[in-house]
Amino acid sequence: MSVAPSTVASALTPKASRALGDALNDVPTVSAHRTQAAEALNKSAMPSPSHDRPWKYVDPAALELDGFVPSLGTNPSTDNPTTIEGLSVTPFEEAGREGALGRLGKAVAVNSNRISALHYAFLQNGLLVETKPNTEVPEPVRLTREFNTAGALVTPHTLIVAGDNSRLSIIEEYRSCDEPLAALPVVELLVGPGAVVHYTSLHHWGTKTRVFSEQRAITERDSAVRSLSLVTGGLLVKSHIASSLEGRGSSSELYGLSVGASDEHIDFYTLQDHIAEDTRSDLLFKSALGDRSRAVYYGVTKVGLEGRRSDANQENRNLLLSRSAKADSDPVLEILTNDVARVSHGATAGPVDEEELFYIQSRGLTREGAVELLVRGFLGEPLDRSALVESVRQELNAVIEAKLQALGAEA
Amino acid sequence: MNEASLLEINALHADVAGKEILKGLDLAVRPGEVHAIMGPNGSGKSTLANTLMGNPRYAVTGGEIRFLGDELIGMAPDERARRGLFLAFQYPVAVPGVTVVNFLRQAVNAVRGEEVPVREFREELFAKMELLKVDRDFARRYLNDGFSGGEKKRAEMLQLAMLQPSMAVLDETDSGLDIDALRTVADGVNALMNQDMGLLLITHYQRLLNYIKPQFVHVLIDGRIVRSGGPDLAEELEANGYDSIETAVSSA
Repeated sequence: MSVAPSTVASALTPKASRALGDALNDVPTVSAHRTQAAEALNKSAMPSPSHDRPWKYVDPAALELDGFVPSLGTNPSTDNPTTIEGLSVTPFEEAGREGALGRLGKAVAVNSNRISALHYAFLQNGLLVETKPNTEVPEPVRLTREFNTAGALVTPHTLIVAGDNSRLSIIEEYRSCDEPLAALPVVELLVGPGAVVHYTSLHHWGTKTRVFSEQRAITERDSAVRSLSLVTGGLLVKSHIASSLEGRGSSSELYGLSVGASDEHIDFYTLQDHIAEDTRSDLLFKSALGDRSRAVYYGVTKVGLEGRRSDANQENRNLLLSRSAKADSDPVLEILTNDVARVSHGATAGPVDEEELFYIQSRGLTREGAVELLVRGFLGEPLDRSALVESVRQELNAVIEAKLQALGAEA
Repeated sequence: MNEASLLEINALHADVAGKEILKGLDLAVRPGEVHAIMGPNGSGKSTLANTLMGNPRYAVTGGEIRFLGDELIGMAPDERARRGLFLAFQYPVAVPGVTVVNFLRQAVNAVRGEEVPVREFREELFAKMELLKVDRDFARRYLNDGFSGGEKKRAEMLQLAMLQPSMAVLDETDSGLDIDALRTVADGVNALMNQDMGLLLITHYQRLLNYIKPQFVHVLIDGRIVRSGGPDLAEELEANGYDSIETAVSSA
């Protein structure tokens, strides 16, 4: 069922949504969300570049979603230690009536706009990852999602529910073919009291895939979430990444890393929302941009009226590796209490620094070697802060290295 | 030209941003010698250091810089380093994401022109760290990132120790150091100095010279060496300041 984009009237109708739900034999929770979303489809508007700040540099029309059709996609493959007591990784279809699936949509709502409505109306490939209280999962759980149907609209959903005082690490990898494709992934992280969740997403989308992904964590008392987003492929990859620090003493670390080549457009919107007191957040997003690639970063740190003694840091750095590459960076602070421990932010964009090059060259490294060292170091920092297990670190290094080599080849 | 010279600078002229700073500077350093160049702010001290190392922001407009017989002008900074020239920076640059140990390993391999086995490298590094009294977890930190003034200068000395240059130029290494840190750094430099090596100390103040003893002291004013002498010249400057010399020069 492959349809070339924008040659047909939109296949994304409420009727098509209901038909998909019937075909998939939805469990009640999913069915309820799908129905609500289908009803919202014709009522909700697309975000607007002039009114919705996170969309300033990407007109949602550019996603050209109406040209794509939902297709019964590949099921996600999981490579996880299912034998671990207290950990379950379950497709939504098998998640049953009870339990954690009931919290679907708690972090990313059905009807925030037409895009989220589309996600839920055509939801497929839902996975529930759940830990029972006090479960410690020693190895990262690996989720691989691969989409190879040209012209498809794909809507993977990952619902992560960490029980009280549990420890969980997840690596989710997205891949797609090099034919036109649109992806609307959603990741919800519900982090229970005292729980610690590390979430890493690898966006290796195909060269003609347009992506709008939404990730939001809600942290309960004394819990911690850490996430790393690595973007190394996709025509347009727009990610909204948010942490709502609702529980006192909870923390969020958001890290991001991208390497842009050819005409790729990488767009991040981040939100560190300090709702409760004594909350802490750190954020570092870095992009290295070659060829004619472009990165956009818009980040908001909010400290609410109750967010006393909040400690927040927000940093965005962009390295321009070609004269035609471009970066826009806009960090924003919104602080409503005058009792914060620390709120800091910083943003930079520019080519490799000549003084740094001179310093490194003065120690014997050639100019080429010095540039290489600076770029690797630049990209290594968010990886270091993410404190990944060694095997994952190696894997990510290899992916980044391959992408940088490809840059050199085109330049 | 003196065949025995390690470094020989003749009539050196250099510009920064179109402004002439060095106006015909001469200097010769032979193996085993410690020279100090002293001068007031704006006299050209940092320009000399940067020009010697080949900072592209500084343009040489005349003269020559001979190092081990070869002309350095026009040579890339890395080639100068591989030939055995070293500059300890007044303001070392922070390189976030690159650890001290990783950086040193790449620098050592580049300068020695061979891969030093990891184990051998580590042993050497730990020995040099001990010599300079730096903590071992220093090696795992990002280079100069968040370092205090004293830590930066010690990191420079650690690089000097690992790269074993035949000619080292120390640009204002004493600035920002308290007396204990200054003593540690000076002890390290003295331990590293040898009969085959030349050392050039560039400084505003005399206090570094209490700990690293130069045989030759030169006074740099307005881009030229205006006086040269022995260690007593530094004491004279400390006592009378640069004013008396500047006055003497301008009225000459």
